[in-house]
Amino acid sequence: MVDFVQNTLDGFFIGSSYALLAIGFTLIFGVMRRLNLSYGPSIMLGVFAGTMIYIQLEAGLVFVACATVLGAVLAGIYVERICFWAVGRGAVLASMVSSFAIWMQLEELVTIFFPERTYAFPPLGDFSLEFGPFFIRGAHLVMFLCAAVLTVLLHLLLYKTRFGLALRAVSENPLAAKFMGINTGLVVFSAFALASAIGGVAGFLIASADQQITPLFGLWATFKGLIAMTLGGMGSIPGAIAGGLLLGIIEAQSTWYLGAEYRDLVAYFVLFAFLVFRPGGLFGQRLATQNRLSMQRV
Amino acid sequence: MLEVNDIVTAYGKIEALKGVDLAVSQGQVTCLLGPNGAGKTTLMMTIAGILRPKRGSIRFNGQDIAGKPARMIVEQGIVLVPENRLVFRDMTVEENLMAGAFSRSDGKTVQSDLEAMYERFPHLQERSTQYAGTLSGGEQQMLAISRALMARPRLLLMDEPSLGLAPLIVEDIFRIIRELNDEGMTVFVVEQNARMALQVADHFYLIEQGKVVFDGTPGEMEEDEVIKRAYLGKKI
Repeated sequence: MVDFVQNTLDGFFIGSSYALLAIGFTLIFGVMRRLNLSYGPSIMLGVFAGTMIYIQLEAGLVFVACATVLGAVLAGIYVERICFWAVGRGAVLASMVSSFAIWMQLEELVTIFFPERTYAFPPLGDFSLEFGPFFIRGAHLVMFLCAAVLTVLLHLLLYKTRFGLALRAVSENPLAAKFMGINTGLVVFSAFALASAIGGVAGFLIASADQQITPLFGLWATFKGLIAMTLGGMGSIPGAIAGGLLLGIIEAQSTWYLGAEYRDLVAYFVLFAFLVFRPGGLFGQRLATQNRLSMQRV
Repeated sequence: MLEVNDIVTAYGKIEALKGVDLAVSQGQVTCLLGPNGAGKTTLMMTIAGILRPKRGSIRFNGQDIAGKPARMIVEQGIVLVPENRLVFRDMTVEENLMAGAFSRSDGKTVQSDLEAMYERFPHLQERSTQYAGTLSGGEQQMLAISRALMARPRLLLMDEPSLGLAPLIVEDIFRIIRELNDEGMTVFVVEQNARMALQVADHFYLIEQGKVVFDGTPGEMEEDEVIKRAYLGKKI
């Protein structure tokens, strides 16, 4: 029982970073109804920007964090301009495929400039807490707190500001948003930048908990974000949070009870089960139905 | 106020509008009739800046607005109440109204307009914190109209406001159109329900297969044999 609770705690804390990844994914999916496979790789680029100024300039943690977020945002904007703005509106498949191509391009770019397998990343919160039999890593606690604060700020942005109103309007009905005089192109662009910034924070937290970084981080982040988003329900922010935490807990439990080699297998199995039995995820059933109906109409 | 000249709008190679000419005069209710697929919604979308015309001009108070982006057209004062209402279902009634005022930057008057809207539509005030998706069809139409009014339009476009609504509610909507018009609002409405439209419209256009085929006053329309049979039934 103690193990089970400890695993759940571990999973919950790690899951908070998955939740951030999924929030970024879901914001982009929400405003465009298109999948951005390059989301993880653009975060990876940001993390490498962070590691570069850490190694070369021995910059402090705050500067590394800023460089990571800035790098992720710039890479995200690049992806948006190439895959989603330049590739025609309505070309769902074309933009997904081109986001895959850009993924490969970003990964190549990083391996050319960073030929070694792994690079160091500065650690965050090198301490730990103990509550009776339970144990919490400091890095995980900081991860969770940052994720929680960021989620609250995002909620305020979405529900208390003009920009938030516009973003929700575009997510729900882009045509109606245009009738209101909302500049939908600008909103999509900003949502992309916002999602990349959130992804950058997630990337920073994860890399500093691992204290190292590889070019495969892009693939990893896309998978985690995509699975967490799908479990929670595409396009739903509460869903992204729940999906991220759920994924973290599933991974922690299966690592403990089945072994680390089964961790991803179990996660994919759960994803598959959700897609078959509850395609809308935990919170997105209505959206899934809407999408299905709109496909039928076409 | 609004002059549409020789507008051609195409979906790919198929021309939905094949050179439409019409005009909307200030202070009047102008009604556009026509069968399904005639191009009524296409015309509304073209005026609202959603579709770009291939040819022709649209002048609003003398300025050419054809092909301008939708938000500029809203800022010019042309606001559309879209077909099927398109309220933001996952937003509250009040958020929908605030979204309607998005193009405006005068915060204080937005607040007073919001109160004025609630006065005109007391139902909406009762439901101000409810999600728009939970409203009935008629209430959603009222919300769509008041949302458009929140932008303070000078010309209100309405695309089939009575579509799919109960007769009593349709009466309500036409009463509102008349009220707005009495207050000085210029309205350009697409309507299938010609009999209802006769009660409010000052001028009629009939569009068929992308072309205007009739243009006249309500009196002239009632004398036209073809329209009488096709749109008004035999009674009149």
